[in-house]
Parts: sequence; structure tokens; C-alpha cells
Amino acid sequence: MYYKLSGFTQKLTGSAPTTAYNPQGLRAGLPAESPTMIFASPTKVISEAGATVEYMGKNKVPDLQRRFQVPDGVPIHLKGGVPDRLLYRTTMALTVGGVLYCLVALFIASQPRKN
Amino acid sequence: MTHQAHTYHMVDPSPWPLTGAAAAFLLTWGIAIWFHYSSMTLVSLGLILLLLTMIQWWRDIIRESTYQGQHTPPVQKGLRYGMVLFISSEVLFFIGFFWAFYHSSLSPTPELGGVWPPTGITPLNPFEVPLLNTAVLLASGVTVTWTHHSIMAGERKQAIQSLSLTIILGLYFTTLQAMEYYEAPFTIADGVYGSTFFVATGFHGLHVIIGSTFLAVCLLRTGSNSTLQHNTILALKQQLDTDILLMLFDYSCMSPSIDEDLK
Repeated sequence: MYYKLSGFTQKLTGSAPTTAYNPQGLRAGLPAESPTMIFASPTKVISEAGATVEYMGKNKVPDLQRRFQVPDGVPIHLKGGVPDRLLYRTTMALTVGGVLYCLVALFIASQPRKN
Repeated sequence: MTHQAHTYHMVDPSPWPLTGAAAAFLLTWGIAIWFHYSSMTLVSLGLILLLLTMIQWWRDIIRESTYQGQHTPPVQKGLRYGMVLFISSEVLFFIGFFWAFYHSSLSPTPELGGVWPPTGITPLNPFEVPLLNTAVLLASGVTVTWTHHSIMAGERKQAIQSLSLTIILGLYFTTLQAMEYYEAPFTIADGVYGSTFFVATGFHGLHVIIGSTFLAVCLLRTGSNSTLQHNTILALKQQLDTDILLMLFDYSCMSPSIDEDLK
């Protein structure tokens, strides 16, 4: 359940999780009023809070935060698991293979046919 | 996360600078090979590698900032200085093009016939599509400001709507610009007029495309609750404003040609 102090009624009222979850970059000094004013209505739980909360799907960020904050010593580019490893190996293979191929191509190009 | 006694971000060792450098190497020689032997293998390889590097590098930055919380206020400050420096360098980059344009147009050489636009060049009428494109770009500046203020106020729905609108306007601009290029009665090889026109508007168009892509990523991240990207949007807004300024300049650059037409 999420609460906020309503500046209008000076009472605690229900609020959307988006207000409680304060994302980075918002100025902390300014008290951000929630867009829709709730006039001392009974508090709501998230499940009955309505469409504004779940607008465009479920918020997966907390799960991802838990997943990427595991202190297992794996570097960030591999922390996502198997898809990460596949992508990394493809990129590395292209890097090494591409550079070698390029060097061969340049060597051939440096020996023009003599007329 | 292990304990650390400072607020700076100690990055993990990363392969992306290496793969990015390899991509640049392949692109450079790929283009040379392409020009010499008409073979696009190396240049395509370089482009694929560049794309893979960009996607994975920026994916890692999203992980470090949103999921690990490494972008503390001092780190954000550094990032912001970086963006300021980048935009300053962009402004100077474009000043070079304007310099070239005014150098050639304000006192046209005898080789051009002593007139601007040069003899034999039929310029585009700036009161047609170029004027529309200026309006589109100014409108996109309005919608991106709307996005910025929605984000500051925590209005997620409005942020998503106005950001979508901005991206649509960006795509509309690019489409109009492509049509204009297709219809243009002169080419990049038609003397200094064609060169300055296509290089300046071409780089401007490239910046709009990059900006639209960047905003699209912001939209996806706002849509998936990733964060309300106050900093990113602010930075992009600055870039867009720069673009608007440039568009106005482009427009003013072409105006002398109407005067000539009217005479």
C-alpha cells in the first residue's frame, strides 16, 4: 500500500506506486504533487488502484534490480546469463575474424598486378 | 554489491572499447576496399560489429544505472559535463559548414559567374517543403518540451504520449527531407552550391535520425517502467534545440536564393 500526505486536506491519502517509487533525476527538494488529487478517499491497495498504475504492462524493474545486484563477481556484460554469453561470443568472433580477414584483404590489395 | 566508501562508479572490465575499435578499423578499410573493388563484405562486417557493440554497450549502461544504481549524483554530474562538451563540439562542427557556405555565397567567385546561386543552379524554393520542415522541427521541439515537463511532474501517461508524438514528427521530417533530396534538381557534385547544401543538410538529417532513434529508446524505457529519464530527455532536448537552430540557419541560408529568384 502506498500513502502520501495530501497538501489539500493535510491528511494521509492513498497514492499511486509511481509517486512512492521516486526515480533518479527528480529533484528531491520539490515536493511533487501527484497529478490526480484524491480528496481524503479511503486508501487503496495496488491491485485496485486502477489503470494508471499498470499503464503499459507490469513494472519489472524491481525484479531486474534484484537480479543485477547479485554480488557474484560476474562482469556486467555477462550478468544476464546465456543470451549475454551468446551475444558476447558472436561479437568477439566477428572482431577477431573480421580483423584477420581485413588484414588478408589489405595484403592482397597491396600487391597489384604488374602490366 | 560490495561495500564501497565513495560515490564513484568503478566500472567492470568491458570488451566493448575493443570491439568498437575493431568496428572502426573494419569500416575504414571496408570503405576503401568498397571504393576500389566494389566489394561490400568488409564494410557490412564493420557495420554489423558496430551495431552489436552499440547495442550491448548501452544495454550495459542501462544495467549499471537503473538496475545497479551506479549513477549517483557525482557520476551524473560527469555525464552531464560530457553531454555539454559533446553538444559544444557539435555546434562547432556545424559552424564549419556555415562558414563554408557564407564564404562561398557572400562573395561568389568569377568561376561561379559572380552570382549566388551559381550560374546553372536552380535552387529549391524555401517557401515550400523547407518551410514545412522548419515548422515540423519546431513542433517537435514543443512536444519534447511537453515530455520533459511531464517527466518532471511524474505524469507517465502524458510523457509516453508526447514522446511518441515527438518521434512521429522526427520521422515525418526525415521522410520530407528524403523526398526533397530525391526531387532536388542539383547533386552533391554540382559545384560548391551542391556540396555545401548536401553536406550541411545531410549532416543535419543524420542528427535528426540519430535523435529519433535515441528518443525511441527513451520511449521504450519509459514504456517498460525502466525509469523516467529526466537526464536523458534533458540532454536530448538540448540536442533537438540545437537542431532547430540549425534548421533555422539552413532556412536563412537558402533565403538569399529567393531574393535572386524574385529579381
